[in-house]
Amino acid sequence: MFPGRSGLKVTGGWVLMDEEKGEVGNLVWAGTAMATSSEEVLLVVKRVRQKKQDGALYLMAERVAWAPEGKDRFSVSHLYADIRCQKISPDGKSKIQLQLVLHTGETTNFHFTSESSAMKDRDAAKDLLQQLLPKFKRKANKELEEKNRMLQEDPLLFQLYKDLVVSQVISAEEFWANRVSMNSVDHSLTNSKQEVGISAAFLADVRPQTDGCNGLRYNLTSDIIESIFRTYPAVKQKYGENVPHNLTEKEFWTRFFQSHYFHRDRISTGSQDLFAECGKLDEQGLKSMVGQGVRNSMVDLTSLEDKSLDEGYGISSGPSTSSHNKTLKENSNAAIIKRFNHHSAMVLATGLRKQDAQNEQNGETSSTDGNSKDSDFFQPSVKKVKLQEAIEYADLEQENGRKPVALNLKKSDRYSHGPTPVQCQQYATSQDIINSVNCIRHEIADYTPRLTQVLSSSTASTAIAALSPGGVLMQGGTQQAINQMVPNDTQCELKHLYVAAGELLRHFWSCFPVNTPFLEEKVVKMRSNLERFQVTKLCPFQEKMQRQYLSTNLTGHLEEMLQTAYNKFHAWQTRRMLRKT
Amino acid sequence: MASDDELSLLVIVVDVNPIWWGQQAQREPEFTLSKCMDSVMVMSNAHLVMTRSNKLAIIASHCQESHFLYPNKHWKAGDFAGDESSCGSRDGKYELLTVGNDLISEEIKNLMERTEVRGQQTETLLAGSLAKALCYIHRVTKELDAGQEMKSRILVIKAADDSALQYMNFMNVIFAAQKQSILIDACVLDADSGLLQQACDITGGLYLKVPQKIALAQYLLWVFLPDSDQRSQLVLPPPVHVDYRAACFCHRNLIEIGYVCSVCLSIFCNFSPICTTCETAFKIALPHAMKAKKKKLKPTT
Repeated sequence: MFPGRSGLKVTGGWVLMDEEKGEVGNLVWAGTAMATSSEEVLLVVKRVRQKKQDGALYLMAERVAWAPEGKDRFSVSHLYADIRCQKISPDGKSKIQLQLVLHTGETTNFHFTSESSAMKDRDAAKDLLQQLLPKFKRKANKELEEKNRMLQEDPLLFQLYKDLVVSQVISAEEFWANRVSMNSVDHSLTNSKQEVGISAAFLADVRPQTDGCNGLRYNLTSDIIESIFRTYPAVKQKYGENVPHNLTEKEFWTRFFQSHYFHRDRISTGSQDLFAECGKLDEQGLKSMVGQGVRNSMVDLTSLEDKSLDEGYGISSGPSTSSHNKTLKENSNAAIIKRFNHHSAMVLATGLRKQDAQNEQNGETSSTDGNSKDSDFFQPSVKKVKLQEAIEYADLEQENGRKPVALNLKKSDRYSHGPTPVQCQQYATSQDIINSVNCIRHEIADYTPRLTQVLSSSTASTAIAALSPGGVLMQGGTQQAINQMVPNDTQCELKHLYVAAGELLRHFWSCFPVNTPFLEEKVVKMRSNLERFQVTKLCPFQEKMQRQYLSTNLTGHLEEMLQTAYNKFHAWQTRRMLRKT
Repeated sequence: MASDDELSLLVIVVDVNPIWWGQQAQREPEFTLSKCMDSVMVMSNAHLVMTRSNKLAIIASHCQESHFLYPNKHWKAGDFAGDESSCGSRDGKYELLTVGNDLISEEIKNLMERTEVRGQQTETLLAGSLAKALCYIHRVTKELDAGQEMKSRILVIKAADDSALQYMNFMNVIFAAQKQSILIDACVLDADSGLLQQACDITGGLYLKVPQKIALAQYLLWVFLPDSDQRSQLVLPPPVHVDYRAACFCHRNLIEIGYVCSVCLSIFCNFSPICTTCETAFKIALPHAMKAKKKKLKPTT
């Protein structure tokens, strides 16, 4: 799909070969070689068949090539940049083959037929390719993928590409010159994705299933594991300490779910449990959080208490700090509520911990929690601004804007004159006026409507003739809309022509003013491109239109645009010649 | 059916400038105001007969006043009790038409009788008549029953020439009509009227200058009787090219390229260092600075 560079055709030249080993030093190719005149050959493998022909495989610095036996021209040549991957035949097979898959999807098979060392040869070739391919792969791949993606996403771009590059009007590099710069901008934008947050219910989502005999199956996905690690860094720490040295992953998680740390009622059963320490850390964290409190001076959390109004209205809050009065049930309820609060606080803190984790190296739970960030927000200056916003209303303030300059019109009656000329149309003398008025008065005084004698047939038919199509009054009207007369596919083709011409003209006109030699070359090239476009695309279209007897001139504007470009080029050229002489 | 729900109101504004029509009677005796009124009556009858729910109003535009020829203030459709002179139709015509025609002829006679000769007032009060037409349409729209829709248009039959003094009012009327989606059609008997051309262009109506005055009825029925929905199906005269050039403030010439003062937006054909309307001074630095002040004046649409 992408026109890559065609293979190096070498007509003359020689190869220095070492018959035994097959390794070669530097080669010099004489004759009509393009680009590189000397290539370093890294490996030559003889007795390689390709398409049922014997020959030798040459691995060079930038490409791999194969020449048939006895000939010195490469019939197969692929740049490493074009190769997507290599495949080898499985070890058990009788045929030892290496396949190269290109980006375009083409495959080339090499069959290693040496009786003694086929496998070795093949493996040597494969290893060398394995080393070389990644070097060239990364560069080309990303660009090509990007271009591919762009063409697929935008059908208009794709059409433009087909029109211009595939039909050889301009080269692919020119086409992509302006657009690849857009690429890098897009990339950086898409990289800044939003982080996915943690669902607070992730632990509950690990729904255990009974597996028949008194056991439970917990299904852990990597998402859940990640959530656990992000919310409880202590667990992550334990994981890091114990896996894989002491426990396997499976054992770790089994212990996790078995431990009371995970269970609803966290009754500490002694220090054999791996996670008892985590429980203690959690307690500490919670205490510190509560100790910090909420430092938002705008919010007073302590005033939110359940106050009972009277018997039966609300709950009377007894002293909650005296622990010896609590029943067991109250204790466990309080414990659960504490755990829920802690869990929610940790989940919220994960979002904020992101930034801190980059700064700090330790993963202490108690150092980072949601509260500290909150209190940061309410520095004195921020508080002042908030208070200011709350008490002031902009539109209730006094008007203290500058007074605008008043418009001072001297002869404003000029505006009321329309585009009617100032001279009077017909001057009627007062005698005329009197005569006319008397005349009309007499006439109307005797007026009776005679509706049957309004129109004679001859006058009627003259009037109708004038109003019929082709008549006096109908000249220059009732033209059919162009889009009804021209068939749809012609319209589409015209649109494509316009888009392509627009692109070429854009390249052309962006060369002016011609300051650098690069622009000079480019402008000359674009001129020839425009001519080529006109010949290959525009003229056939015009001929097609003529054949279809379409009399409307659809391409007039295009031709005008091209002609303007030619004129400008001509002017520039003559000016340049004059300057030179 | 949809056509039952939608009313169509046609307001005909007839230019009955007595001076022009008097002169016309002397110039061309075969087409006088009587003939013109006959044609208008034919057109209005045709409109009323097209659909039962069609409504009509006729305004005579005089140089002293604008007067409603139809409907009468004191007359309600179907109330024939007050009519002693004409009891019923004499020729088997639809009674509404008979009564209407009689009313129109009586009113025009009264109007012409009231005409006084005044030297200064020789121009037709067209802007005023159009404003009255708009007000009438507005009133009728307000009096509609809930759920009824009405489409209205104004047909102007113009005889005398444009009045330059009425320009501002005219333009205001045109834009008000455009806002209310009221078409203004124009049937011009004598000289082309730039104002009416603009009115038709802006509101979407038809402009026609009749080549033969005696065939006026035919033109009216052919071109102006169908309403805007039907017009899209018919082949009618194409729109005329409207001259939207502005007139310069100093000479009242129509110009295409001119100078516009950036403060008061007055238009001049020549550069002058001080705008005569708002007395702003423009600094003239160098000759090529003059070019910078030149702003191309495109025909406004």
